[in-house]
Amino acid sequence: MSFLESLSKFVLTMGVAGFTWQQGVMLAVACILIYLALRKGFEPLLLVPIGFGMLLGNLPLAGLMDPPVYHLVVNPQTGEHSHELKEIGGLIYYIYQGVKLGIYPPLIFLGVGAMTDFGPLIANPKSILLGAAAQFGIFTTFIGALLLDFIPGLTFTVKEAASIGIIGGADGPTAIYLTARLAPHLLGPIAVAAYSYMALVPLIQPPIMKALTTRKEREVVMEQLRPVSQTEKIVFPIMVTVLVSVILPPAAPLVGMLMLGNLLRETVAMQPILNRLLKTAQNELINIVTIFLGVSVGATASGLIFLQAKTLGIVCLGLAAFCVGTAAGVVFGKIMYRTSGGKVNPLIGSAGVSAVPMAARVSQVVGQQYNPSNFLLMHAMGPNVAGVIGSAVAAGVLLAMLE
Amino acid sequence: MKTESSRAKHAVRTIRLMVVLLCGLAIASAGWAAFGDDLEKPRPEFTRHEDRVAAKLIPRGKSTSVLIEFQAIGGRLLGIEGMGFDPAGQKGMDAKDFRSDLFAVTAGGISPGGELKLSLSSNYFTQATELWVFNRAAQPPWLAAPAENIERPNRVQELVVAVKDGGPLDSDGTVNGEIVLVVGPRDSFWGYALGTLLIRFFGVFLVLGVLQLGMLLAGQVFQALDRRKEAPRTAAARRAVAEEPAEALEAVEPEAATAIGVALHLHLAALRASAALSLEASDASSWARQGRTQIMRDRLLTHDRPGRK
Repeated sequence: MSFLESLSKFVLTMGVAGFTWQQGVMLAVACILIYLALRKGFEPLLLVPIGFGMLLGNLPLAGLMDPPVYHLVVNPQTGEHSHELKEIGGLIYYIYQGVKLGIYPPLIFLGVGAMTDFGPLIANPKSILLGAAAQFGIFTTFIGALLLDFIPGLTFTVKEAASIGIIGGADGPTAIYLTARLAPHLLGPIAVAAYSYMALVPLIQPPIMKALTTRKEREVVMEQLRPVSQTEKIVFPIMVTVLVSVILPPAAPLVGMLMLGNLLRETVAMQPILNRLLKTAQNELINIVTIFLGVSVGATASGLIFLQAKTLGIVCLGLAAFCVGTAAGVVFGKIMYRTSGGKVNPLIGSAGVSAVPMAARVSQVVGQQYNPSNFLLMHAMGPNVAGVIGSAVAAGVLLAMLE
Repeated sequence: MKTESSRAKHAVRTIRLMVVLLCGLAIASAGWAAFGDDLEKPRPEFTRHEDRVAAKLIPRGKSTSVLIEFQAIGGRLLGIEGMGFDPAGQKGMDAKDFRSDLFAVTAGGISPGGELKLSLSSNYFTQATELWVFNRAAQPPWLAAPAENIERPNRVQELVVAVKDGGPLDSDGTVNGEIVLVVGPRDSFWGYALGTLLIRFFGVFLVLGVLQLGMLLAGQVFQALDRRKEAPRTAAARRAVAEEPAEALEAVEPEAATAIGVALHLHLAALRASAALSLEASDASSWARQGRTQIMRDRLLTHDRPGRK
């Protein structure tokens, strides 16, 4: 072998040889996401792993997302067929199995449940309906995505439309869970859109809230919530798991794990030894899973799929879903304001889009702009946590329909 | 406030940047093929059981497979194949309305010019499912077949259509004792989609409404239990107050109360003073104190190195 041949062989094994322009663009997009996360503080916990996963997944010839390769071997003596492992497959391919098999999102829900206090919701059960109303965005966007059929390059299938619609739930794990089941090829754009909009809640929601409410409505001071006993808080996760799973089995993995986390949280006072499990769910487990989820979701965003007109469609539709969901929550809040004789502040309706606790905080901030002595935070936490349950239920409904 | 507005401006700038970037990507990729369309090819696989043929396929908008069973009544099924929608694509006909592939059915076993009935049954069909036939030679090529939609046990719907050899539904157009029929079960896509919007959204309301009811009931029960638990305590407290001799309360003179208060204050102040004094005193030996001073000096060097920020 001549020197030149050796050199050319060596060059061909380098990543530079397999570099495509799409990969170049994706590396740039990955850097932008990492920049937004680090410098602008847009969901850094998720966007840093997603951005870096995107970087890893688009590295030429690294093959981190490659599946294992098997050779079919025929035994010449017995004629038996067997499979022999030729290439072991990339690291992220194996990590991705947790997304593909729907393992990571429920585990994240376990952590979310372990960190969430459902007390405000238990104290004011009516607020659960605000969490349901805010899911309207999911379904209108589902139809909207199908209506875009007439634009070339923006034809979405029913399953893709459902996956885009779920962005309106403003719940990252739910969006990933549903998309991995219905339209796994859209995982990258949908996850990025979902988490970006969750980060932009304080910018997107206030104009909609102000446009749909009057000053008088925004100034409403709500009554103090009743105290909730510990026993009630312990019974709540068990009751929710049983009821939701009986009515809507596809929602059981998400709701079940959310409620298990919450049960650990509420029973720790009774059995302090459970603190070990609680701490794991609240910290180590959710952090490990977040890294795996982010990296593998980012790695699915390959240039060939991400750089399409559809990505823009997903981004726009996701925003529409989010806005419609917020608006529906506020409108339902207004209905409750009327029916309760002015006792409900409609601003808490916008918190029904999940995004805990940012959406509740937005309700508090907007409310205080008009009445500085008004504290809506705990009232908004009710619809906010109801939104988490609501988006999981909506995902279950879509799964039941499309599976 | 200034910081908030500058943050908002930054965020708006970032959003603009993202939108411009995405528009650029979209323009760059505008000519590319859509990638969703090819994922939903409901290609059937056929299995024959005597005179029946079953097609197994994953319909559009579903992830699990369904079975459609074919039978020729008054004739014999000779063959059946799946057919994509593209060759039958016509203006005004939407592939989305056909959630399965089309089926090219060949049937025989009848006399020339005779008639047979083709039956398609599946638990995937609804009462609104229609049977449409494609015949390239006919005008218009797509016809709504006059099919009977019969309800069977286990939520199975059977569509039965009578086909005449050489008739308008027969694609070969000749009277030869053989019928070729290109047929597809059709459901209105928009009916389905809008139904989804309404029924599914109210489904979410229903589930959460049931939860609300459960929470209301549980709340009532727990509040009642709490009240019951509290009741004896409250009653005991009330009784204790009621039983307390009024004279005992009145017996303390204001001057005496003031004197007691002053005495308590002086006593506690003295205790606090002695505690503060005892902090100063150390029971460590001179050797230990010297060691401690040495450690603190070393630490100071570490934390006070030049250029440390």
